[in-house]
Amino acid sequence: MASLLLMVIFGLIGAAAKLSNSIIAKKIANAYTIIFRGTPEILVVLLIYFGSAIALTSLFQLFDPSIKYVDVPPFWAGTFAIALIVGSYATETFRGAFLGVEPGSIEAARALGLSNLQTFVYIRIPEMWRIALPSFGNHMLSLVKDTALISIIGLNELLFVAEQATATTGKPFTMFIVVGLIYLGISTVITLFVMGLEAYGRSHLRAAK
Amino acid sequence: MSFDISLILDSLPKMLSGIGLTFQLLILSGVLGLLLAFVLLLMRLTEKWYFSVPAQVFIYVFRGTPILVQIFIIYYGLPQFEAIRESIFWPILREPFGCAILALTLNTGAYVSEILRGAVLAVDRGLLEAGSALGLSRSQRFIYITSPLAIRLGIPPYSNDVISLLKSTALASTITIFDMMGIARTIVAETYAPYEIFISLAIIYMIFTFFIQKGFGYFENFMSRHIKK
Repeated sequence: MASLLLMVIFGLIGAAAKLSNSIIAKKIANAYTIIFRGTPEILVVLLIYFGSAIALTSLFQLFDPSIKYVDVPPFWAGTFAIALIVGSYATETFRGAFLGVEPGSIEAARALGLSNLQTFVYIRIPEMWRIALPSFGNHMLSLVKDTALISIIGLNELLFVAEQATATTGKPFTMFIVVGLIYLGISTVITLFVMGLEAYGRSHLRAAK
Repeated sequence: MSFDISLILDSLPKMLSGIGLTFQLLILSGVLGLLLAFVLLLMRLTEKWYFSVPAQVFIYVFRGTPILVQIFIIYYGLPQFEAIRESIFWPILREPFGCAILALTLNTGAYVSEILRGAVLAVDRGLLEAGSALGLSRSQRFIYITSPLAIRLGIPPYSNDVISLLKSTALASTITIFDMMGIARTIVAETYAPYEIFISLAIIYMIFTFFIQKGFGYFENFMSRHIKK
């Protein structure tokens, strides 16, 4: 859940940066999407987990040389890594969706005297949300599936627990199938939820009865 | 914290020696996955429920679970059964390489068959009607009208899938395969220099992604040469 929230934030910031007039912001956002879409997820997770431990350790040593080692909680490292990855995909989705908002609606908002911020919040976000929803649902699914990667850095999530259970019971197939079924259940719920949201987003477009 | 350039230069050749394995994983499972996807597509396009329902269930299951879980089920899970250990498939399933190929093939097959289905359904109905008006049979229409158009429409999403397959091959390192990722993890465990190693590996993967994208871009241009202005 924490990474879902972070991912939406990364995605929105990225999209805003790509569409902004500032060349520097555009360059940074482009680099962000290229880097995180071009490298394996597992690599990013490992890099952030081990890398941030070293970075933080040396940072703390600047202030207090007696500190030998700072341990980064795997939960936050994993959450951050996955949010960064899926956020880079979401950036592209949101960018496409913002471009899909009709210029007419924005001009109408200008004509009504809404400020830039008001236009963004009241006009652009609701309209782009509807366009972005189907692919955003896919991102949520890949987010759920990517959480399985965190088991590699030893967080007590589903897959990690299953590995431990395997070690005690000696029945790996049963354990991993159960994990698979749980993931399948979660993704089914998300799919249904997104379908419901899509229907809700289209509710004003349905013909009156 | 210092950035050790000589360490990168030392470990680059070691990591690059894993390229062969990464490519074997990518190409073998890519080709097998494409075949599987095609079979699944044909199963879904028939109107017979006993073909289309199993294909749908297969796609649903493999798209709904993480690839890492699938790899673990196949590598650690399957040997739980006596029958599998005695079957003729055991020589393949005993090796981590065979397991990785199998898992990646099944996974990418499920995704690609959805891409193909989307492309086939996107072909203009009018063209098919024109085909049948000209007296072409069902299979002739599929081969001469649907396929060429669907291939062109399917290229952009398919290239995305090949890239995500490339990234999935890195997961094979979790079942003791020494592809580039596996070698990099060993080096990091020895030297404890995650920045140098992982970042240079990330750049290697990005270069591959770039070439895959370019390659598919040319192929797409080639396939749509008749609609160019």
